[in-house]
Amino acid sequence: METAARQIVAFGGGGFSMEAGNPLLDDYVLGLTGAERPRVCFLPSASGDADHYIVRFYRAFCAHRCEPTHVSLFRREQGPGDLRRHLLSQDLIYVGGGSVVSLLGVWRAHGIDSILREAWEAGVVLCGLSAGSLCWFAEAVSGFHGEPKRLRGLGLLPFSNCVHYERGCGRGEAYHRFLREGMRGGYAAEDGAALHFRGEELSRVVASRPRARGYRLDVVGTRVVEMQIATTFLGDRGAPAEAPLPEALSTAPAA
Amino acid sequence: MALGGGAATATPVRRILALGGHEFSSRPADRAVCELLLRLAAERGGGERPRICILPTASGDTSEQIASFYSAFGERPCEPSDVSLFRLGRRPLALRDHLLSQDLIYVGGGSMVNLLAVWEAHDVASILSLAWRQGVVLAGQSAGAMCWFEAGITKSSGCPLPAAGLGLLGGSLCVHYNNEPERRAAYLDAVGDGMPNGYGLDDYAGLLWEGEGAPSALTARRGARAYRVSGERGEVTESPLPARFLPAPAPAALREDIAEFRRIKTMRKRAGWLS
Repeated sequence: METAARQIVAFGGGGFSMEAGNPLLDDYVLGLTGAERPRVCFLPSASGDADHYIVRFYRAFCAHRCEPTHVSLFRREQGPGDLRRHLLSQDLIYVGGGSVVSLLGVWRAHGIDSILREAWEAGVVLCGLSAGSLCWFAEAVSGFHGEPKRLRGLGLLPFSNCVHYERGCGRGEAYHRFLREGMRGGYAAEDGAALHFRGEELSRVVASRPRARGYRLDVVGTRVVEMQIATTFLGDRGAPAEAPLPEALSTAPAA
Repeated sequence: MALGGGAATATPVRRILALGGHEFSSRPADRAVCELLLRLAAERGGGERPRICILPTASGDTSEQIASFYSAFGERPCEPSDVSLFRLGRRPLALRDHLLSQDLIYVGGGSMVNLLAVWEAHDVASILSLAWRQGVVLAGQSAGAMCWFEAGITKSSGCPLPAAGLGLLGGSLCVHYNNEPERRAAYLDAVGDGMPNGYGLDDYAGLLWEGEGAPSALTARRGARAYRVSGERGEVTESPLPARFLPAPAPAALREDIAEFRRIKTMRKRAGWLS
């Protein structure tokens, strides 16, 4: 049997949740499904299944270009009865932002963690922003509440992850410290940048904003090495690419 | 009780109020429940302005639940607050200190499974257990009532199923007892199959634990009852408990009118208009 392509797109921030009027990242993940009318399921668990967030999802993923659904784990009586079947029948599962600690707690309670792994292995594209990015990695830097914290994610991707990686945001400093303290190497993404993994390897970094970037971070000895990764801006198809060469550093994980 | 001993020296009385179901509305039965919550908070030693905090976790911290809580307590003599674990990012607070400084912690309804999962993830369960031992009154309705027991019957997965609680109180609880027949049926089956014995609570019925011993049953609506539910060798019995009726206080507008009337009466008396 042919192995399905396992794909995860982890947004540092962006998509309909953060970039009203800029559908570049959302269009990109829809495009990856290869389906004419992809089945897209939104998991807003990290927000506590906030109504306003669900409404915004349906507005962004309107029915003429995809088949949108959502799963509210706080209102199971209203949703699909068989969660596993519903999630496995999707082309794309889109995880919203919020509290990654709450997200992982609720997922475990409903067995969503193992269903998502199964969906990933079956070729369903998984994506999300912020908490919806951190969750896929083995380790994550959460800055949701107070001081940035180190926590364990689902571990589909054997790396660490940091989101909203803007200059001078405090998360970067914390991420570097965690790495020096033994956190495994990994990837960071700024708002508007998305890390696209095929299998467990980073395939490319795409962006909805011309200057948004992704980074690879590793510890060499006692030093943290941070490399900017060449990023493809998804807009302005006609415009020349923005000086890609100086930042086209190695994206391969250190051997 | 130690003579003149303050709350700090005496062993605090552990109190839990479990409610079968209610809302924060202006209806008489709901006002009676709020009055009881205020009284329990004040008795705990909160003085004139006891601190009452809602944990709306089971609902996913919906604005509706939080707003209805503030509409019930905002104008009353207390200091209301909410801890929304899903919104800590926007509203950071010292979780542990805040919860331990309350007189009463009220847990709203929703998904019992999610409630306990999120509490565990944020390490809230251990704080609540400590608060209880320190004398903070724990209260709640629906999922927020069952969470204190060893087990409950939850519809967190759609249909009613047994779920484990924190176990601060021994035994089990089933809420919305006569209001949701399928939940009651699932509870009777579960107790018959070995779930620990416990209680059934109709909407507007409650059970109050104060220290050791059996709880006292309360009702805020005529006909709403609390039941003792026990199983023995597959045979399950339900016996209604004698309950104290909680009268509804006058609504807020009326309370103001009464106060105004009394002021006028006093003024008239002073002026010698009344004999």
